[in-house]
Amino acid sequence: MVRFHFSRKQLCIPYAVFLTLFVIIPMLLILLYAFTGEDAEGNLFFSFSNFFNFFSSTSKLQTLGVSLTIAFITTFFSLIIAYPVAYILARSGWKRTYVLLMLFIVPMWLNFVLRITALRELLNIIGFLGNYDYVNTVIGMVYDFLPFMILPLYNSLQKMDNSLLEAANDLGAGPVHTFLHVTLPLSMPGILSGVTMVFMPSMTNYVVSETLGNSNITILGKMIEEYFSTYDDMHMGSLISIILLVIIFITMLVSGGFKQNADESSARGANLW
Amino acid sequence: MRKIQRLLALAGAAVIALSSSLLFAACADGEEKQVLRIYNWEDYICNEDDEEAGYVDLIAAFEEAYDCEVEYSTFGTNENMYNELKINEGSYDLVCPSDYMIMKMIREGMCEPFTEEFRTSSLYAQNVSPYIRGIFEENGWDKYAIGYMWGTMGFMYNPEAGDTIAEDVQSWRVLENEKYRKKSTLKDSVRDTYFYALACVYEEELAALAAEYEDGSLSETEYNAAITAVMNRTDEETVEKARVYLREVKKNIYGFEVDSGKNDMVTGKIDINFCWSGDAAYGIYEAGEEDGSTLAYSVPDYVSNIWFDGWVIPKGGNVDLAEKFLDFISSPDYAMMNMDYIGYTSVLAGEEIYENWVLDGYAAEESGEELQSLIDAGEIIEYDLSYFFDDDPDSGAYAFYAYASEKNGMLGAQYPDNSVVARCAVMQFFEEDANNRINMMWEDVKGAEIPIPAVILIAVILIAGGGVYLFTKYGNDWLRGKPKKGYEKVENKDK
Repeated sequence: MVRFHFSRKQLCIPYAVFLTLFVIIPMLLILLYAFTGEDAEGNLFFSFSNFFNFFSSTSKLQTLGVSLTIAFITTFFSLIIAYPVAYILARSGWKRTYVLLMLFIVPMWLNFVLRITALRELLNIIGFLGNYDYVNTVIGMVYDFLPFMILPLYNSLQKMDNSLLEAANDLGAGPVHTFLHVTLPLSMPGILSGVTMVFMPSMTNYVVSETLGNSNITILGKMIEEYFSTYDDMHMGSLISIILLVIIFITMLVSGGFKQNADESSARGANLW
Repeated sequence: MRKIQRLLALAGAAVIALSSSLLFAACADGEEKQVLRIYNWEDYICNEDDEEAGYVDLIAAFEEAYDCEVEYSTFGTNENMYNELKINEGSYDLVCPSDYMIMKMIREGMCEPFTEEFRTSSLYAQNVSPYIRGIFEENGWDKYAIGYMWGTMGFMYNPEAGDTIAEDVQSWRVLENEKYRKKSTLKDSVRDTYFYALACVYEEELAALAAEYEDGSLSETEYNAAITAVMNRTDEETVEKARVYLREVKKNIYGFEVDSGKNDMVTGKIDINFCWSGDAAYGIYEAGEEDGSTLAYSVPDYVSNIWFDGWVIPKGGNVDLAEKFLDFISSPDYAMMNMDYIGYTSVLAGEEIYENWVLDGYAAEESGEELQSLIDAGEIIEYDLSYFFDDDPDSGAYAFYAYASEKNGMLGAQYPDNSVVARCAVMQFFEEDANNRINMMWEDVKGAEIPIPAVILIAVILIAGGGVYLFTKYGNDWLRGKPKKGYEKVENKDK
């Protein structure tokens, strides 16, 4: 019988190959395109012109602003809606809370385009469609990304040690005080990972703004698409992608996503989401 | 750039070569089948067998008739198609771009010419409409391209949306009208909407030209050349005017769309849709099927666009097999079936199509006295399609009686009458700097402003969040309030 021995390094090979082919090489190409221009013969030359062009164009900066605005408001409402739900689910005494959790999550697994199309009809019945493009877009985004907020919050709230709450209670803290000084800080990892999970895609998910905002709102994702398909300018398209990447990086940095804190190990599950 | 493209192409070619060699090894039929690689718009050919509806899968039928293999793929926009052709040079035998893209491709030498034999004696050459042939010759496309489908642009509208809507949509500027606020759409496509904007900003100039044509001081050819020149202006002043106009109109419309518009018309979300005639035909048909309601299509006054999609053979394509395919789908029977299936109008004319499609579909059934009384009542009109079916556009040999409602119905959408095509301009291909200018104009038009309520909301959220944070940090005593019953507050000496 032949016995196979794989070292750890060898076990990593499939992932390394995948990563190189589909993540690293494309990223390098995007970087290459972002900081190059093209002469008449199609030869590339190094240039910062796309970069300057982006930051001196009113319409592009406006689109950046619109995307940030929509992402911010979407994240805020997702948090406001998801926190109580996650709290109730996680802290309720029921034994089978995961069944309840699934009740919240499973409908979200329906095809995304289908759900947005259905939502469009619903908004039409309410009378929002065509009149409140921004409101509709935010509703659609919140609807779409809510599970990404609920799950990490649920995870971190569920893992919270009950004895801490009891201790706060024993020591005389009222409910508001307990929430602000015990529950909220302990659920911070969940909040941060939820915020990152919602903020990022809502800057680029242009299917929602196109379908529910009747293409009246352009967000960065749509702009990238226009540069690649309509304007035939992959360089500017790549640069906008890089700018998005930088924004993601900054958000992660601010929200502490890179922190490797040992005593936050309980929140590791939350960060996975 | 070139290098990367070459690398990608190489990788692609390797994959294709590998898979096709595997495929051939698997069939091991002995003789190698010829392959025709077609690149067409989505949903733009009948490729479904349906005996009940009388549809034949044209691609499968061709494969069988010529013992070859067809690799069929589709694209969504002209620009996507063009990029794909640039990246994968030599990987298609037959593509179907629109007018201005055909011009661009011919200009850049990307097309293989058709053979003399095909241009003179194929089924296409025998059946193509003289009108379409004329336009292709005028523009110098006839060597490299043949037509497939054609149509106009105009408004699909709901006749019940207002008492005056039928008159209102005769002006392109109806979209500024407060009466139809948030009830109309434009195309989310820079070429079409730019064309629309020019029709509006040059309305007076176009009206003056129309008047000159009307009183005979301009011939039809001169008139058409004049409006075509106006509608293809790209100077800075024009682009700026278009930008200002579109930003203004944007406030009054429902939104931009490329394919949801016809369904939104059918479901009644909007009342006016700037659209291609083929989509209008589809919408009118669907609305009738759905709930028996009627929609109408009309081409506004002074100017419109006449567009074509045509077949070209990219450099290095298999000319012989491509021509066989085009000949195959150019038989009148297949052309009618294709029209029925996809809803657009074929460039092919000929007796069979006139009789079995136009007359069968649209000619009034009444005759004799009954007919005369309906004509007098204005319910039946004479409809002349000689320009399309006859070599002599004024012969009147292809005039027939049709119900007046059809003028703004399916018939008008499928076959515009002579007066409409006289005021139709062909879209030209723009030079690169003009194109960039128009693209930037479009980006500006599509960009939205940050709404002030949203800014206020964000400010409130930030202030409230900051407030909570400060309270939890410094406002302990205030927030804690009184301790719970039975507890006493103790000063924390460590602090």
